[in-house]
Amino acid sequence: MIDNGLLVQMLLGALLGLSVYLPLAAGQLSLATPAFYAVGGTLAALLSTRWSALGATADGGFPVPSLLLEMALGGLLAGLLALLVGRLVLRLQGIYLAISTIALVEIVRVAILNLPFTGGAVGIFAIPQPFATAAGYLLPALALLALAGWLCQRLELMPLGRAMAAIRNDELAARCMGIDTTRVKLIAFVLSAVLAGSTGALAAHFLNTWNARQGSFDASITTLAFVILGGSRTWLGPVVGGLLLTALPELLRPVGDARLVLFGLVILLGPVLAPQGLITPALLERLGGWGLRSAAGRDAEGAQP
Amino acid sequence: MTPTPPPSTAVSNDTSRSSGPIERRQRGALRLAALLAAGIGALAWLGRSSDPAAKPLTAGPLTLGAAIAFTGNANLYGQDQRMGLSLAERWAGTSAPQGRAVRLQMEDGASDEPSAIAAFNLLIRQGVIALIGPTLSQQAFAANPIAQRQGVPVVAPSNTARGIPEIGHFISRVSAQSSVIAPLSIEEALRRDPSTKHVAVFYAQDDAYSTAEVAIFQKALAARGLTPVTVQRTQLADNDFQTPITSALQLRPQLVVLSVQAVAGGNLIRQLRELGYRGQIVVGNGLNTPNIYPICQRWCDGILIAQAYSPELNTPINRRFQQLFRQTHGDRPPPQITAQAFAAYQVLFEAIQRLQRKGGLTGVTLGQARADLMQELLSGTYDTPLGPIGFSPEGEVLQDRFYVAEVRMAPGGRDGRFALVRERHLQGSKP
Repeated sequence: MIDNGLLVQMLLGALLGLSVYLPLAAGQLSLATPAFYAVGGTLAALLSTRWSALGATADGGFPVPSLLLEMALGGLLAGLLALLVGRLVLRLQGIYLAISTIALVEIVRVAILNLPFTGGAVGIFAIPQPFATAAGYLLPALALLALAGWLCQRLELMPLGRAMAAIRNDELAARCMGIDTTRVKLIAFVLSAVLAGSTGALAAHFLNTWNARQGSFDASITTLAFVILGGSRTWLGPVVGGLLLTALPELLRPVGDARLVLFGLVILLGPVLAPQGLITPALLERLGGWGLRSAAGRDAEGAQP
Repeated sequence: MTPTPPPSTAVSNDTSRSSGPIERRQRGALRLAALLAAGIGALAWLGRSSDPAAKPLTAGPLTLGAAIAFTGNANLYGQDQRMGLSLAERWAGTSAPQGRAVRLQMEDGASDEPSAIAAFNLLIRQGVIALIGPTLSQQAFAANPIAQRQGVPVVAPSNTARGIPEIGHFISRVSAQSSVIAPLSIEEALRRDPSTKHVAVFYAQDDAYSTAEVAIFQKALAARGLTPVTVQRTQLADNDFQTPITSALQLRPQLVVLSVQAVAGGNLIRQLRELGYRGQIVVGNGLNTPNIYPICQRWCDGILIAQAYSPELNTPINRRFQQLFRQTHGDRPPPQITAQAFAAYQVLFEAIQRLQRKGGLTGVTLGQARADLMQELLSGTYDTPLGPIGFSPEGEVLQDRFYVAEVRMAPGGRDGRFALVRERHLQGSKP
């Protein structure tokens, strides 16, 4: 059964999936999410263990407002880094962008490993806890996910979201239509970084410890798998992918030693059976059309070219 | 696939309110999101912690939980630990058949932090009386605070980093810190060749264990007035060491000190020898497994290693342990990590039996039994295959017998053994 601790991990997975989705919605395959996640996590770990003004108590407690402040700061720092790096790397496209963002992940990992104040390979441990049980983390994780989901839902109707969609379909055509493609891509990249940074700050407290292994190349691939399995065309795809793929290894525990083999099979078969991912725009349209057939069905058909 | 329509079509669709594809998709997304939110809410409600600690302890067998790495890069150690725990279970069945029955439940703690947390949560919810694990120190820093908060005793079989027992009252370990063991092998190497002046050091800079151990090696060298002529940093996942070895060998080292994990270490030793190094090699705890023999084969011969366990220790419990090991795993000596896992189970089992005899396991809640067990565990001394051990009040292992071994490979170079060269009694850490 899924306990609250696993549920929090699933929500964190969904948040990271959304963070990969945002640049992808503007047609940019960026694998930099773990780098920003690591930045946010490291910042939170450092602040909560070193800066007594945040109110960490001797018995390992931590005030909730300080956690929210850390999440904001983590997002801010990651966003700033994305703003700086994005100007450079977003000149690249496709596989070249993917490679350069992998390089960013590696640079951040090696930096965290070697900085004098991040604890080296052991990392930072004894991170104070804002909540007594894992259930406490559900609320901030859900709130962050709801906020990100609301933003993604709104984006589809906003000029920014439409510009992102236009770039994904054809960047050259979008530019010809007067869209400032560099700016739009940069905004998507920064939004993704802010989300990953805040998620990292939350995850650092949830994990009790933070080290350079949290933001690795492996994590890039895992988060990309969330989007590929869930579907990259709607924001709910990565959410569902993140929730499912984080839960699956734990749900497969009764299988014993073969559980990761089954997990691998799911990742293999998912894209084969559902090439567009589990959640496709067509599925959402069908879901949205239910119950409206009688009222607006004829009208809708009339609107189709 | 339905491509997103360009803005112009979307605008024209606005005339047919509530029926355009975008509106329908938006409504569908909202409905699915609401469905997901309801699902998450239901899961949160179903999975809320129904803490088994408040329930009275049932009369049946007690469950020990073990979260060990069966997958990921630490699985080489996890396999050794699984052997040790299974042997301990069989030993317990024969050593105290009249005592309180104990059942072992093993879960895969993998090699990363989230998996260790999930495995600990799972076992704690199932009502285990104590936990064994996790395999890596970094995982311990993530998962142990959870056990500490819920008041579940933890015995770590293989965490050697500094600060593990300090996580809390409920955390203890049977694996001695590297600061105690590591200097012994350097001592032995310098005894064999007192004229050693040039030392080269290799370590994996992205590994918690290596960075901690190499600092201790360096301190031990400095205490004898030796400064390494070179310190080569490698990465955890490296297997090709030609470049660092070549640059180190140019400085003509007489002693090479390695602190890396098993697979990398085996390759590093082999490549050192193949590139012409003939001097002594001292290795750290990461190579304390016979799993390195197939990797470095005959090139393993002669390396020095300090150990917390020696198969050649002649005590009844060690003979019994070896007998059990040979019955199931063939005629070879058991590795240190297996012996430590056995000891982790053994100390918990013996503490449970003592508590049972005192009547401390009847008429109490699970939470109370866990707390009493921790008290009992720390207060006892144990005759384990590692030798006699006990615990400090913080839960740090007190062990006074350590060993320096030399790897001797069989003529074919396929198999070998850790041959005991020196036994050391350390004062001041009496159990």
